[in-house]
Amino acid sequence: MAKEVILDCMGEACPVPLIKTENALKKLEIGDVLVVQIDHSCAMKNVPEWARKEGHNVEIEEVDDGEWEVIIEKTK
Amino acid sequence: MDIKKNKYYQAWFKNAWTYVTGAVLLSLFQIVTMATTNDPWGVSGPFANWGAWIFRAIGGSVDKWNYFSSQGAQATLSAGFLNDPGSIRNLGIIVGALFATLMASQFKFKKIKSSKQIVAAMAGGLLMGYGARIGFGCNIGALFSGIASLSVSGWVFALFLFFGAVVGSKFLVKYFM
Repeated sequence: MAKEVILDCMGEACPVPLIKTENALKKLEIGDVLVVQIDHSCAMKNVPEWARKEGHNVEIEEVDDGEWEVIIEKTK
Repeated sequence: MDIKKNKYYQAWFKNAWTYVTGAVLLSLFQIVTMATTNDPWGVSGPFANWGAWIFRAIGGSVDKWNYFSSQGAQATLSAGFLNDPGSIRNLGIIVGALFATLMASQFKFKKIKSSKQIVAAMAGGLLMGYGARIGFGCNIGALFSGIASLSVSGWVFALFLFFGAVVGSKFLVKYFM
């Protein structure tokens, strides 16, 4: 059963959200979903960029003014 | 029609511009800066002037300080904030950044997450400010403007900026993750 994990990166500036995402994703199984909550616009660029380069499925959702959720499905 | 779905709104204000667009614009405005002020673009230098003005406003004097001892530095300080192109430009950067965030409706007051963040921000700010002044330039004045002026010093700065960033990242991962 695939699980969904929330990673709270609110108030964190680059490169902290990216490093936290890398570490969190390592602990997940294939098929699991990681939801990274961010409010730093640079992280909205570099977190999805990194995850797509790694080959995972990525979606970005703008949840509020200056707040995003990067939804990453681990594929390998 | 919903302005958020308008393609011109999205292209100009909502979506991040590409690195190439940014690079071309920075180069063009560097030329404009050189042509209008006779100085290359710098950011941290005017901040030292702001500090001097604040220090003067509370009754201090920087006249004997080595950093401000040159005639040029004294003339800039006496002319005041409104006659210092660098100060006005720094103000423009802050106002422009605010305008861009508001237009993209991405403005947000961010919460301070931990006391570690305060310590890191203060330590980082002090180190960057001190380094920028002792090195006569930050990543704009020394790196960008240095390289744009075909000066070797800009490339030397870039090399050591890289080593500094490596060390800084190691500290960050070790103490702030």
